[in-house]
Amino acid sequence: MRAIARRLVRQVVLVPVVAVASYFLMASLPLTTETDAKRQVSRELAASYQRDLGIGEPLGFLRPWEKLLRGERLGTSAQGITGDELLTKLSGSVGVGLMALPLALTWALGFALLRTGWRKGRWAALGDVVPAVAFGTPVFIPALLLAPGVVERGHLLPELCAALVTSLWPGIFLGTLVGDALETELSRDYVRTALGKGLSRAAVLRRHVLPNVWPAMLDAVGPVATSLLAGSFAAERVLGLPYFGQLYVLAVLNKQVAVVVVATTTFATLLVVVSLAVEVLRYAVDPRSREASA
Amino acid sequence: MSRVPLRARVGLALLVGLGLLSLVAGRLFPEALASTCPLGMDPTRPDRTVCELAFGGLWVSLAVGLAAGALSTFLGLAVAAVARLSGGAVEQTLLRAVDAVFALPDVLVVMVLQLAGQSLSDAGAGGGLGPFGLMVASLALVGWAGPARMFRNRLATLESQEYVAASRALGGGGLHLLRVHLWPALRPFALAVFLSRLPAAILTESTVSFFGIARMEPMSLGRYLGTSYAALIYEGGGRVVLPAWALLVLLVLGASLASQALSGAPRRAS
Repeated sequence: MRAIARRLVRQVVLVPVVAVASYFLMASLPLTTETDAKRQVSRELAASYQRDLGIGEPLGFLRPWEKLLRGERLGTSAQGITGDELLTKLSGSVGVGLMALPLALTWALGFALLRTGWRKGRWAALGDVVPAVAFGTPVFIPALLLAPGVVERGHLLPELCAALVTSLWPGIFLGTLVGDALETELSRDYVRTALGKGLSRAAVLRRHVLPNVWPAMLDAVGPVATSLLAGSFAAERVLGLPYFGQLYVLAVLNKQVAVVVVATTTFATLLVVVSLAVEVLRYAVDPRSREASA
Repeated sequence: MSRVPLRARVGLALLVGLGLLSLVAGRLFPEALASTCPLGMDPTRPDRTVCELAFGGLWVSLAVGLAAGALSTFLGLAVAAVARLSGGAVEQTLLRAVDAVFALPDVLVVMVLQLAGQSLSDAGAGGGLGPFGLMVASLALVGWAGPARMFRNRLATLESQEYVAASRALGGGGLHLLRVHLWPALRPFALAVFLSRLPAAILTESTVSFFGIARMEPMSLGRYLGTSYAALIYEGGGRVVLPAWALLVLLVLGASLASQALSGAPRRAS
C-alpha cells in the first residue's frame, strides 16, 4: 500500500503546483489599457483581470477560488463563468469522455486481435499503417468531416460523434500496446501447455492470457484518459458542444485569465482523479501489484 | 547506409520526399501547382487553390515540427545528462518535474503559453520572438519531458554496461564517460527520439492553430483548416480537408517508421 500511496501523493502534488504556476504565469502578464500603443484588452477585461486575480494582495492566488465558492462570476459579464456553470460544463465533457472510453477500449481490443492476425499474413504492413493514420489524424479532421451531418440534429448525436472521433487515436494506441502484450503472452510456455492439454483457444485466451494482458492495458489507460479529455477540446469546438473544452478555448482566445487559471487547475485535478481510479483498479485486478505493495 | 534498417530508410525517404515536395510545390513554384491543381479553388480564398494552401501549409508545419522537435530533444538530453551526472536528490527532483510536465496534455499547456507569449509580444516584451519562434518555444517547453525520461532511462541502462564500469574504474569522470562512451551509443537513439517528437509537435501545432490561438503566417496546415472551418461545415469541405489530412498522415507515417526502426535497431560492434 505504501508504494501506491507514494505514487498517489506524487500525483496529488500536481494540483497545487499547476494552480500556483498557472496563477503566477497569468498574474505576470502585462495586460494593460494604459496607452493606445500598449492597449491589448478592453477596460472591462483589464478591470476583471485585476479584480479576479487579486494582483498585489497577499494570498492573491486564492482569490479566483474564493470568488467561485461565493458563487460570484469570474471574468467579464459576457464571457465569464460561475462555479455552477463550470461544474455543468465539466460534467458535459466528462460525459463525452465516459462515452469515448468504452469506444476506445472496443477499438483497442479489436485492433489488438486484428494486428495479431495480420502479423502472420500479407497484411502485416497494416499494423504500421493503421496506427500512423490514427496518430496522424488530429481529432478536428474527422470532426470536420462528420460535422455537416450532425451539428444541427441534437438528440445527443453531436456528443456521440465527439466521443467517436476522440476515441479513435487513443483506442488504436491502446490496441498497439495490448497487441504487443498479447503477442508476448501467446508465445509463452503456459499457453502451449494449456492448448496441449486440450483447452480451447478461446478458453486459454480468457482464463490465462487476458489476466496477464490487463496490467499492460491499465498502464496505458492514464495517458489514454488524458488524450480523450484533450481531444474533446477540438471535437467540442467543431461540433458546437458548449462544454469544458469550448470554455477553455474561448477563455484563452478572449484572454479571460482568471478563467484560464481555474480551468487549468480543474483539468489537472480531473487527471489526478483518473490516475487515482486507475491505481485502485490496478490494485484490484493485478495480484502482482498487491504483492509489490505489500 | 546499409546498417540503417529498411523501415527506417522508407520512413526517412518519405519525410525527405515530403519536405522536398513542400519546398518545391509550396514555396519555389507555387504557380505551377496553381495551374494544375485538380481540387480547384479554396472556398474561403478564391484567389488560391487548395493544393497551394495545403503544400504551403505543409512546409510551415514541417519547419515548426523540425525546429520544435530538435529543441525539445536537445532540452530533454540536457536534463537527462544533468540528472544522471548529479544523481541523488537532484535526479529525483528532476524526475518529479518531468512527471509533472508529462502529466498535462501538450495542447492545453501550449495554449496557455501562447496566451502568455502573445500578451508579452503585444506589450513589446516578446524578446523578438515572432509567431514562429513563439510556437517553437512553446512546443519545446512542453515537449522536453518525454525525451528527458527516455534519455535518462537509456543512460541508466548504458551506464550498467561493462565497458562503462571499466572506464569508471580507470578513473573516467562523469563528463568523460558521457562524451567518449555514452554519447556515441546514444546518437541513434537521439535521432529516433527526435523523429518521434516530430509528428507530436506538428500535430500539437496543428490543433492549437486550428483553434485560432496561434497566429502562424504563412499559414500552417492546422491554421489553414482552422480559418476555413466555418465554411467547411456548411459547404461539405471534404475537398479541402482530405489533402491536408493525407499530408499529415504521410508525415506521421514517415516519422513513425523511421523512429521505430532506429530505436529498435540492434547496434553492431564497429
